[in-house]
Amino acid sequence: MKFFSIIKLTFRESFAKKTFIAFMSISTLIGLLFIFALNLDIVDGAQSAVSLFGIDAPELVNVQDIIEGVEGAVSVLLFTAGIFMSLFATSSLIPALLQPGYVDLLITKPLGRMEILSARFIGAVAIVLFNIFYLILLTWLIMSIKTGLWNWGFLLSGIIIVITFTILYSLMTFLSMLSGSGPFSLMITYLILFFSPILLQRDNIYALLSSKYYGYFVDGLYYFLPKTAELGNITQQLARNVTVSSWMPLWTSLLFGILMFALSGLIFQKKDF
Amino acid sequence: MNVIETYELTKFYNKGKVKALQDLTLEVEQGKIYSLLGPNGAGKTTLIKILLCIVHATKGEAKILNRSIKDPAIHKKIGYLAENHRFPEFLSAGQILYYYGSMAGVEKSDLKEKIPHLLKLVKLDSWINTKIRKYSKGMMQRMGIAHALINDPDLLFLDEPTDGIDPVGRREIRDLLQKLRNQGKTIFLNSHLLSEVERMSDEIAILKDGKLLEKGRMEDFLSVKEQYQLRVVNGKVSLQEVCGKIDIPFTVTGDIYTIAVKDEVQLNHLIDELRKVETTILSIVPRKLSLEDFFIEILDESEKR
Repeated sequence: MKFFSIIKLTFRESFAKKTFIAFMSISTLIGLLFIFALNLDIVDGAQSAVSLFGIDAPELVNVQDIIEGVEGAVSVLLFTAGIFMSLFATSSLIPALLQPGYVDLLITKPLGRMEILSARFIGAVAIVLFNIFYLILLTWLIMSIKTGLWNWGFLLSGIIIVITFTILYSLMTFLSMLSGSGPFSLMITYLILFFSPILLQRDNIYALLSSKYYGYFVDGLYYFLPKTAELGNITQQLARNVTVSSWMPLWTSLLFGILMFALSGLIFQKKDF
Repeated sequence: MNVIETYELTKFYNKGKVKALQDLTLEVEQGKIYSLLGPNGAGKTTLIKILLCIVHATKGEAKILNRSIKDPAIHKKIGYLAENHRFPEFLSAGQILYYYGSMAGVEKSDLKEKIPHLLKLVKLDSWINTKIRKYSKGMMQRMGIAHALINDPDLLFLDEPTDGIDPVGRREIRDLLQKLRNQGKTIFLNSHLLSEVERMSDEIAILKDGKLLEKGRMEDFLSVKEQYQLRVVNGKVSLQEVCGKIDIPFTVTGDIYTIAVKDEVQLNHLIDELRKVETTILSIVPRKLSLEDFFIEILDESEKR
């Protein structure tokens, strides 16, 4: 109950900052778009006509392709804009926790420091999980009910989006512990988020490097940092029911997340307030 | 039984450049109001923060309620009012007590009963549903006291509890703390208001530059041996003449005579003499220092050392 009280308080904080409501409003709007604007006429399991805002699609497309296309697009939207907004919305939660006068009230409760940090962290992830799955489930249900086809891969893609957020949030938590600044940790996290596609092109970068040691360094960075570009690909592949060729980006990124959270915990344990 | 025990508790900052607390050893008995005094930067808040594990000691040991301060489970029996507490502004008083009470391990059913009672105790019952961003400083302080009491603690740490509170409110808090002390709770207090401390504390400790200068019972520090203050209506012979006759030194401030006798026998002899000359004795009380006088005296002595 003590632990869950901190999670509940984190939810309340998100409500108070209106970020939760903003998230849900956008998701609801997208859901309404699928309900009213996308019109699918299915005849005997095959699509006969598709229209968006009353405008008919020029060619006949397979229903399965429509579902995978729409749900794939939503997963890409959530992976990029969703994670971007989620990081922004939750960036102040850890620095707020560390504020003198606020953290004192928590530390003096019968909870260990690691429990306090974990509850706050889980609270932030739970907010994002709730919002991401609100849109995913809404889209999934509308599309599945309209077409009669249930794409389970889309739900799995939601899990990858939340895991990617969790990994990046653990980095942001670590940076907040070090600096106490929400904007600073947010900027560096965004940098890492957008640095990943560059590192993915490391074969091309090698050609520009003067020493092989620089190459090792780039390789080291690639394997150490979260591989957001590849996690984005995995998300899309799952949403489109394409077989995922390698899970390496997921587990190496997860290891990075675990390391960042463990370091954050260590700093929080030792910190004086 | 001691509820707080510290042994050579030390806290250094900046690799020893700032000595916030140095080798502090003290014990606090159960059921007492124990006050920490000292100028700014003396280490009072640091000591409270170390005892509550908000700050880690560089050296030394401490126990609260017979358990190591490092065990967070002891916080279940502790209440704390921070000097600059910061509750989430988007919550009302009732919600704050609910959330922080839950974190302190109080059952939901108990909280429903306790919250209105506590808010009534600190006179915030009519504000139970108002967001605390609308509260005045004094109201926030009373909110903090209600928060510190939500888990019915055995030991209360109060850092400047009457800060920002008007004189009537201060008196109410003083009465409340004395009531809690009478219930067997121990109160560890840190306050700049010496008159408040003097009125309610059983024991005090004076800190300066992180060092303990004095500790002990308040009455031992403030009573002055063999000195009494008299208020009289002179009879046939004045008090000055009677004192001169039996060789008792005295000073006069307004209508109060302060006399210095050798012992109680000499005091009784003076009373007999005053009766003989038909002097009406209005009052005789042992002379006491004010806490402020004592505090300044101790600080001056430490300067000279």
